[in-house]
Amino acid sequence: MTDHDFRAMFEEHKDAVYQFAWRMTNSPALAEDIAQDVFLLVWRGEAELDASRGTIRSLLLGIARNLAWKHWRRDRRLSSLNDDEIAAASTAIESLDKNQALSAAVAALPPLQREALVLVTYEEMSLQEIADLLTIEVGTVKARLYRARENLKLLLAPCRPGDVRSEKEYGTAK
Amino acid sequence: MEPLNDRELDHLLTNWTAPPAPATLSRRVDHARRKPWWNWLLTGSIRLPVPLALAFAVLVIVIFVATVTRGPAKPLPHPSTPTAFQPVKRLEPRIIRSTYENSH
Repeated sequence: MTDHDFRAMFEEHKDAVYQFAWRMTNSPALAEDIAQDVFLLVWRGEAELDASRGTIRSLLLGIARNLAWKHWRRDRRLSSLNDDEIAAASTAIESLDKNQALSAAVAALPPLQREALVLVTYEEMSLQEIADLLTIEVGTVKARLYRARENLKLLLAPCRPGDVRSEKEYGTAK
Repeated sequence: MEPLNDRELDHLLTNWTAPPAPATLSRRVDHARRKPWWNWLLTGSIRLPVPLALAFAVLVIVIFVATVTRGPAKPLPHPSTPTAFQPVKRLEPRIIRSTYENSH
């Protein structure tokens, strides 16, 4: 890959990779680390972008996803990363603004549900694309997405549209 | 509290905005790309599987113990000293003849 090709790819996909990592980790610093590592792995040829396996964007998100999991495993932030739990951890979101409440609620989801939700809702990937990316069955993606949404419906109940404090109100309250 | 319905959840999810990549990301990537390859020798790290590390440690210990317990090598007597030349106790020469010599 030439320097020009790399720069073009970086400029085109940097926001998508960073935002995916940000939504997955709920941490700007960690998201930046992950996004940097994704592009450096590609630049050094340590992560191959095989166009036959999907779009460049989905491949970059796949690398970001793997790096996020590596961070979680290293930090032992989750007791059981492979446990596809049904109930998400409870979190207090009543006092947060809409964006913070959503961040907190999504961060409280089990990681497998979180990645399914983020990939479908924000990366606009089809169920089949996600199944290919994660090397799982489409039915498993559907089940994780369903559980994620059911958990969010419970977690975000205090934030029912209309009940959520506007950002302006939150700013003045602080 | 009653859970949200699908429509309410979708409404909230569509309004969840993520920040764009910070400008520092571009600088960090450029900086890291320009580092020479040998920089890794000074700052890099490798992950070593524990069984491999243990096997290596055991091997080093075994070699160390074997070297220490063997002691210094016993020096061979120098050929120029008289003890190096001992008379042959029993001389039994074996004569090998060629087939030509045997037939004549």
